[in-house]
Amino acid sequence: MNQKISSLDRRKFLRGTGLALALPWLESFSGSLSAAPSATDSIRRLACFYMPDGVPMPRVDDPAYTDWSWFPHGKGKDFTLTKCLDPLNPLKEDLTVFSGLSHPAVRKVHGHSNADQFLTGADTGNRGGYQNSISLDQAFAAQVGDRTRHSSLVMSTDGGTGSPRGAQTMSFNRKGRHMPAEHKPKRIFDMLFVKSGKDAAHRLALSQSALDDLLEDAKSLSRSLSHHDQNRLEEYLQSVRDTERNVEKAKKWLDIPLPQVDVSHLNLDITPEEPRTYLQTMYELIFLAFKTDSTRVATYQIGRENGVGASDYMARAVGFNLTHQLSHETKKPGGWENFGTYCNFLSTELARFANKLKNTEEIGGDGNMLDNTALLFGSASSAFHLSRNYPMLLLGGRKMGFQHGQFLKYGEGNEQNQSTADISTDAGWKGAMDYTELPLSNLYLTLLHKLGVETDSFGGSTETLSEV
Amino acid sequence: MLNLKMCANRLLPSRLCFSLMFFWGNLVVFAEGFQVEVGDKFVTSPSKNDLLAGIPFLSNVKLQEGDFFKLTDGEAKKHYGSRTFALNNEKDWVVTFSRLKIARLDEVRVFSWNGDQRAQQDYDLAYSMDAGKTFLPLAKEIRALQNGACNLTRVQCRADGVTDLRLTFRNPGDRENPPNTLHSSILEIDALGVPLLPLTFAEAKKAGRDNSVLLQKAESIKDQEGRSNGLSPKPKLAEFAAEIEPALQKTCLQCHGPDKQKGKFRIDTLDPDLLHGEDVAWWLEVQDVISNGEMPPDDADQLLGDEDRTRIVDWLASEIQTASQLRRSESGHSSFRRMTRYEYNYALQDLLALPNDFAADLPPETTSEDGFKNSSEMLQMTAMQFEQYREIARKALDLAAVDESERKPIYFGVSMEDLSRHRWDEQEQKLEKLRKAHKDNPIELNKQLERHLPKEDFVRKRAHFWNRVDGRRIGSQWQRTSWQGKFSIPPRREPPAIPENFTVVANLPVKQTLTVDLWDVLPDTGVIRVRALLSRSTPENQSPPIVSLLFGHVVSNNSFASEKVGSGQEILSVPSAPQFYEWTFPLSEVVRNPFRKVENLKGPNPAEYIRFQNTSSTKEEITLHYVEVTTPFHEQWPPDSHRKIFPAFTDGDKSVGDAREIILNFMEKAWRRPVSTKEVDRKLAIFSEFRKAEISFKNAIIETLATVLSSSNFLYLAQSDKPREGNPAENNRGFGLATRLSVFLWSSLPDKELMDLAAQGELDDSKTLVTQAKRMLADPKAERLIRHFVRQWLGMELLDYLEVDEKAYPKFDPTLKEDMSKEPIAFFREVLGANRSVLDFLHSDYAMINERLANHYGISGVYGTKLRKVSLEPSQNRGGLLSQAGLLAMNSDGKDSHPLKRGIWLLERMLNDPPPPPPPAVPEIDLADPEILKLSLKERMEDHRNDPACRSCHAKIDPWGIAFENFDATGAWRSEIGKEPVDASSLLYNKQELNGMDGLKRFLLENRQDQFARSLTHKMAAYALGRPLTFADRVQVNRVAGELRTAGDGLADLVFLIVQSDLFRKL
Repeated sequence: MNQKISSLDRRKFLRGTGLALALPWLESFSGSLSAAPSATDSIRRLACFYMPDGVPMPRVDDPAYTDWSWFPHGKGKDFTLTKCLDPLNPLKEDLTVFSGLSHPAVRKVHGHSNADQFLTGADTGNRGGYQNSISLDQAFAAQVGDRTRHSSLVMSTDGGTGSPRGAQTMSFNRKGRHMPAEHKPKRIFDMLFVKSGKDAAHRLALSQSALDDLLEDAKSLSRSLSHHDQNRLEEYLQSVRDTERNVEKAKKWLDIPLPQVDVSHLNLDITPEEPRTYLQTMYELIFLAFKTDSTRVATYQIGRENGVGASDYMARAVGFNLTHQLSHETKKPGGWENFGTYCNFLSTELARFANKLKNTEEIGGDGNMLDNTALLFGSASSAFHLSRNYPMLLLGGRKMGFQHGQFLKYGEGNEQNQSTADISTDAGWKGAMDYTELPLSNLYLTLLHKLGVETDSFGGSTETLSEV
Repeated sequence: MLNLKMCANRLLPSRLCFSLMFFWGNLVVFAEGFQVEVGDKFVTSPSKNDLLAGIPFLSNVKLQEGDFFKLTDGEAKKHYGSRTFALNNEKDWVVTFSRLKIARLDEVRVFSWNGDQRAQQDYDLAYSMDAGKTFLPLAKEIRALQNGACNLTRVQCRADGVTDLRLTFRNPGDRENPPNTLHSSILEIDALGVPLLPLTFAEAKKAGRDNSVLLQKAESIKDQEGRSNGLSPKPKLAEFAAEIEPALQKTCLQCHGPDKQKGKFRIDTLDPDLLHGEDVAWWLEVQDVISNGEMPPDDADQLLGDEDRTRIVDWLASEIQTASQLRRSESGHSSFRRMTRYEYNYALQDLLALPNDFAADLPPETTSEDGFKNSSEMLQMTAMQFEQYREIARKALDLAAVDESERKPIYFGVSMEDLSRHRWDEQEQKLEKLRKAHKDNPIELNKQLERHLPKEDFVRKRAHFWNRVDGRRIGSQWQRTSWQGKFSIPPRREPPAIPENFTVVANLPVKQTLTVDLWDVLPDTGVIRVRALLSRSTPENQSPPIVSLLFGHVVSNNSFASEKVGSGQEILSVPSAPQFYEWTFPLSEVVRNPFRKVENLKGPNPAEYIRFQNTSSTKEEITLHYVEVTTPFHEQWPPDSHRKIFPAFTDGDKSVGDAREIILNFMEKAWRRPVSTKEVDRKLAIFSEFRKAEISFKNAIIETLATVLSSSNFLYLAQSDKPREGNPAENNRGFGLATRLSVFLWSSLPDKELMDLAAQGELDDSKTLVTQAKRMLADPKAERLIRHFVRQWLGMELLDYLEVDEKAYPKFDPTLKEDMSKEPIAFFREVLGANRSVLDFLHSDYAMINERLANHYGISGVYGTKLRKVSLEPSQNRGGLLSQAGLLAMNSDGKDSHPLKRGIWLLERMLNDPPPPPPPAVPEIDLADPEILKLSLKERMEDHRNDPACRSCHAKIDPWGIAFENFDATGAWRSEIGKEPVDASSLLYNKQELNGMDGLKRFLLENRQDQFARSLTHKMAAYALGRPLTFADRVQVNRVAGELRTAGDGLADLVFLIVQSDLFRKL
């Protein structure tokens, strides 16, 4: 553990006796006790981003098609990014664009309900009972979460959990429950880099004496049991001991000084009312968390679906009023261009973040950070409220073996992305499917493998995608 | 009438007549329907009373497909002219009818044609009374009257109890002529007489009781037990060598000896010392197959005489019993285990007087082989789970203890007048505009008014408000876009007065909802009580309407989060006298609006609502007069939950002495025994540490008690009876017994009365135990035993997972499924409550059903949603567990019946005789084979069974399952599958016949009463003890089963016998 911190080689950041202990970290701790970090542990990271409302999907014969169709033109290695994505041009060899992927269970569910399942692939349905499953980021965090102070960083512009089918978080724990997202930069910063007072230390100390007492209870009970029954109680004793070990570990983190970062360039009280700066700040916080190895997993939901809440103001960054409305007004003059301009803004900021990672040396000096970081960016709708052909982008992570510089098209019968194009009424999402798509979870399973998670399936995956 | 039913099922009644073409013939008229017409017409109609109708036969002559029925059902049309019986066959032709049920045989008629002057025919007739083992001659050399003509020969005879009939036909030719093999046919064989009527269920029950070995031997089991006490028992090896071994060798060795080992079983190498040897499991098998008559098989060369059979079974029974007892006294056995998820939940609920579901987040339990979730081996513990227990305990205690600030509830008093006001206003404004716009043009005004006012019948079809004075009606549309609590009724601090008159009411047609917006003022936790003043519109309708309550909020413009709370209520009150119907639920248990209490909201609506829905199955309208909401709702202050922890209300600081008392009291209740000073001191030390950390008195108590609830002393059950060190005064035995009793009957902790009895050392006494068990069964908490035992015993989780094919069963819906899952539980409740016979589970002349189930069963005159006792007619094909829709449906695949699943279920759950698991390499039924596709399901199973790899298991399972074939995938009755009549008849391994559900029930009642009694005793004892039963428990189970039979099979008696048994009392 100590070795890990020293390998940060950022002594100038380490100062004082800061204490920070976040509960999400404790919660995920018990699963992977054995995975202690070591010097040879190569760092792999994952950050996932969600944009609501889908993307511009004009028809081929629409004049806006060339410039403002979100999906690139061409295929395979030979493709060009439209104006929606062209800020990413300098990173073209570091990225892959996908089409023809979607989660099968909700292909006929209104897109407004589907942010919930973007990273999980669960059948979250339309109405009635609601059950989600573990999200991609948490499946990865279960493996690497205990190597860093924070198991994962969960953020969104709107904050909290949202409602069933109205998620304001991308992350769901192993029981399929919403994990609340942070939306205030200040709180995120404090959680990451500011000591949390003596409370945490206190709690741990108290927890420890309670556990000691429970061990004593069990030992006393054990003495009155037959040998056979003692064996059964041993499971309990082991559970208490394991929990004690968790507390021990948690205390160790308390003793390790928090990294000190310079944030004089950031305004941590920024709100989504100033969307561009807010978005940049959120990206910057992820960057800082990664750079100090405070966590290796992050999700950031740029906006919730259905255009309510603070995230709907994001479009003000490019001079429009409400983001969701852009997706409704594509048939108005300049509609495709307006919507595309907003996509261009998102791409610009994503590119800025990716470039920053690319230009920063990896901890321990081994290459750049982007090569060890997979950035997943996408939405659960393509055309208007239609939960098919998700627009998906994967950036970075070259060292994990991604074959970038491609536009990969999956499925059959929708090669020009026209089957989903130009829908503009709410009825569109119910329409029949006369083309095929692959489960998006196939990409997720591939991602997990590259991230080093050994699993046979994820979220209803059927196979891995060998081209990725 | 068995035979008539068989006719209906297997024969096509329309084929009772048939015609055949012949080259020549005279008009010959025979008695009773046999006739030949002149010319080329040949007509025959078999006797209506033919006892052979539909019975297949065996013969030594290979016949064409379909010929098996030809001699009895007249279905000969397509084969005419080719039924030559002696086709190039010089031997006699033997035709045997089996599985007959003839009480008295009076006459046999053979209708034949020998189409050649030279031909002759004759036949012998023999019958059997013992399922074909021995045949007795009935008539010899009956000769057809005429050569070259149609003949009817009639043999008058007299034989009783006929099970088989054998006809041996000869084609002898005569002295001059050689046998003619070409032109001789048998066209029809009839048997006339008195059919054997099947026993009625009551008769079968009685006959079965007369057969009971348990009843006869109940006394001897006890005797033997007395004898063996104190003495070291010895195996009876001499008896084995002298009597048993020779009998076994004679009968079994051929297939299970050195030469052959059928079923991989060899009998001659088994160790006859059951007390110390290792072959007990095999001997148990031997006992089962011999006593059930499954072995030796019918076709064995060497059958087992009754005397030998009895001798073997008796010797085995006695040795097994001695061995079982020996094991019990030698081995330790305990049911030390963790509480199950549901027990933990009930324990917290009872301990804290809270209705919440505390176990929702705990991992589900693994089911034992027996099907039980409380089985000690299966109940694991992990660090993660341990953490959850700590967290749940903390939250639960926090919910239970209250602050003074939580005292004052808020109230909503919602009259429909208030709720509808904005709707009238909106309409009035609209009309006013029109009036202004068209004030100079009355004609146009009227036109416009008519256009804009919604049509009355349109309004009446939807939820609407109705002013009963002026008759106006208006839709109650609740606009989800009317956000920000615009139309919510403001809450009050004081209980609202109920209005005296209800000028405006709301009418809810079926499926319609009425929403009451409660804005963003509800607390995070605490109970909410909703009362609604309701009435029904057409009280004369026998089926009352139902109102359900939903709680929820708006998620987005296309979705709501609404969840049903509690269950729907039947509205019985009439319009002139509406009544209050009430729902209460904890607010922490429903999905809440995540945006509530968020300041400066720009978009999302933070409001929450309640919604009334008319969920009736009939078309009746419901009228809502008034709604009252109270939250947090407390029956009293401070609430019970608080008092369960703190003796008096406490908000301020208290002394350490108070803390000690609070902790001690709570520990004794949670740990179900007195606690030592040392134990309390340790908890008090924790309390002091929390206090030192500047945590309030109340919170420090909560933290301390959370460790009490995370302790192994709380989470683990049925401690040993050994006295605990350092606590000699503690009457462990009594307290252990109190806990076992309460966990068995209440799935929870003992109450004060049990604890007091234990403390006084009075509980461990048969009489007291029965008195207590009676008291406990009368308590509402006994519902937990009923629910959990029935669900686990019958494996009803399968029903939860069942997905019924909507296309095949369009009438199936979730309500029906819910009712199906309630039926077995209600049935068990009825049998237990009235101490009815456990044999009612096999068959009863009543059912516990409601209107929906009654419809499903085709039973009329049952109204409403409540399950109640309904008398059954035999023709309704129901009664008992076996024919309950839920149990049939869960053992289907959602599309069709699944005889295999049903058979296995019957063997595992009802008879406790689970078939072995399938071998690793089971050949799949090849559905790509067109020949196989042509077969019916039953035929396919038979085909599969003929595969030697499958035979031994399937022969044991399939016949049971086929008997259920009259029930489709949803448990509805059917007499046809596709266009074919249902064939639900089957033969057990030992050739005993099961004929449909009635036959199955009758068979079980006649022959398997003991097995079922033992099975149920075994299941309930395993549940009561929370551990799998072993060989060592066998004698005890037998003994309880015997006592149950002696006591008259009452289900409540079974509970009392179990709690009195050594099994339960002596750990």
